[in-house]
Amino acid sequence: MANLYVKAVPPADLNRNTEWFMYPGVWTTYILILFFSWLLVLSIFGCSPGMAWTIVNLSHFVVTYHFFHWKKGTPFAEDQGIYNGLTWWEQIDNGKQLTRNRKFLTVVPVVLYLIASHTTDYQHPMLFLNTLAVIVLVIAKFPNMHKVRIFGINADK
Amino acid sequence: MITIPYLTALSTYFSYGLLFAFGQFRDFFRKIFDWWHASNLQGYAPICLGLEDFYIRRLYLRIQDCFGRPISSAPDAWFDVVERYSNDNNKTLKRTDKINKCLNLGSYNYLGFAASDEYCTPRVINSLNRFSASTCSTRVDGGTTTVHKELEECVANFVGKPAAIVFGMGYVTNSAILPVLIGKGGLIISDSLNHNSIVNGARGSGATIRVFQHNTPSHLEKVLREQIAEGQPRTHRPWKKIIVVVEGIYSMEGELCKLPEIVAICKKYKAYVYLDEAHSIGAVGKSGRGVCELLGVDTADVDIMMGTFTKSFGSCGGYIAGSKELIQYLKYTCPAHLYATSISPPAAQQIISAIKVILGEDGSSRGAQKLARIRKNSNFFRSELQKMGFEVLGDNDSPVMPIMLYNPAKIPAFSRECLKQNVAVVTVAFPATPLLLARARICLSASHTKEDLLKALEVISQVGDLVGIKYFPAEPKKQQQQQQQKQGKGTIKLE
Repeated sequence: MANLYVKAVPPADLNRNTEWFMYPGVWTTYILILFFSWLLVLSIFGCSPGMAWTIVNLSHFVVTYHFFHWKKGTPFAEDQGIYNGLTWWEQIDNGKQLTRNRKFLTVVPVVLYLIASHTTDYQHPMLFLNTLAVIVLVIAKFPNMHKVRIFGINADK
Repeated sequence: MITIPYLTALSTYFSYGLLFAFGQFRDFFRKIFDWWHASNLQGYAPICLGLEDFYIRRLYLRIQDCFGRPISSAPDAWFDVVERYSNDNNKTLKRTDKINKCLNLGSYNYLGFAASDEYCTPRVINSLNRFSASTCSTRVDGGTTTVHKELEECVANFVGKPAAIVFGMGYVTNSAILPVLIGKGGLIISDSLNHNSIVNGARGSGATIRVFQHNTPSHLEKVLREQIAEGQPRTHRPWKKIIVVVEGIYSMEGELCKLPEIVAICKKYKAYVYLDEAHSIGAVGKSGRGVCELLGVDTADVDIMMGTFTKSFGSCGGYIAGSKELIQYLKYTCPAHLYATSISPPAAQQIISAIKVILGEDGSSRGAQKLARIRKNSNFFRSELQKMGFEVLGDNDSPVMPIMLYNPAKIPAFSRECLKQNVAVVTVAFPATPLLLARARICLSASHTKEDLLKALEVISQVGDLVGIKYFPAEPKKQQQQQQQKQGKGTIKLE
């Protein structure tokens, strides 16, 4: 396992904020972080597996909505603010829609929703919260929602 | 092509994720804390927008002591590093009076002109006494002295072009020339790992910018064909001008540019070639004339050759070399020539003397010796590091060798452990390099002796074992020849 090497070709993306997502190993890291956070929640709260998956799903919703679809711009100043009006989701892959990365990131909340609702046996109120989370996340990732600000929420001043 | 062990990639993502999460927590609590304690800055606009300084505050400042170390002597092969300490966890650093004599593996001192030189320094002091430290005016007003004229002729002869123009600062050479050469309606195609000065100059010019994959001539051809077929962005008219910008040696990778293929492609599609030889002029090539000489490209094929004097010549400033018409045009239009102070006369004299030493015109063979020594040093050091199992980038003959670190925690570990053993290395992280690919960059010099290199190798090997960056299996020294013979036989059998 230690001898497993991957080749990394630097992608032709000038936006340093999103270029790291094109290297090998990101998808695996994402999935592993979700799995280990489920184990962490199980060990801290000592609840049922379904409840733990619901907690993971809801915190995943809050975290990814905040960082992918709410925060705009980049965390450094070298690019002189050309991306200041775009959220991270709108910046990746240079704004091109329906690339492999975007499809992967759309599928992850759906799979989480299926796991969470299956392991809680589709009971309320978990089902309602999980469904709300997946609807908001998937709609935010539609290509038609590129640069759309509903009711001017989170628009530039 | 960089080869990363898979587990290292996963752990690097995880480490950055953790650092990011901690930074966000601390920002969150800081926001609550600040809201609680109202400040007296009501009505003032914030200096930074939103998250703009997040990386600096929460990631860079934690390991600030590894960057920007003050030195108190000339950056020769051995130099004095001032010790610093911090009382508030690296947010502010205070200097002490103690200095450490360390081996210098970070300065761009390729030919050893950084410290005082027996031929150059007396002439520089003469020039300082005659012309004073600064001309205090622009080139067009009163800032052109005989030294400047001599320098431009000298540089043009050295590089192999009809004429040259010299500026006082290397960064400004790129960022003030590109807007003058090309404007709206033109196309700049630049390598994806080009230096920030080129990126800023290209952005300031108003031309459309396209990027091609680093050092991949086939992708350059694809981008050229696509762009020529499409034309300008909305009107689809043909482009007024296309300039392809590449560098001679890429400072973060140590790789040489694939210049022959790129020049052939540009000739085919009638695009101009702009070559930035900041790191390669004076350091590579049989007589030090840069990457064109090394790779056998005729200098008449490269339209604009740019370079800086800070690396191999031990001075400051930059130059552009090209045809007489181009340089005449630049003298009328370039703001760095019309409005900026001209290069300081003693600095210009240093460059002239350094070029004379390199070409052997000072009557000794020191120039040729220096070039041979830097080539030997680079090849020896690189092969030794690779034998030890480090992942070292860069081509043979290139004096820049980055050692890959990857994990963010290994950056300060490597840097501090090396400093404890009196070896000063430069570590580079995001955003100068991609997020994952943090590295320690070693720049060799002609003034490093064999003993210096052996000490450096010993220290780096020890620290490498401690920090865990030997990603490749090391080759055992004594059985190396036998192994090579066995491998040779093995491949013949398989075929």
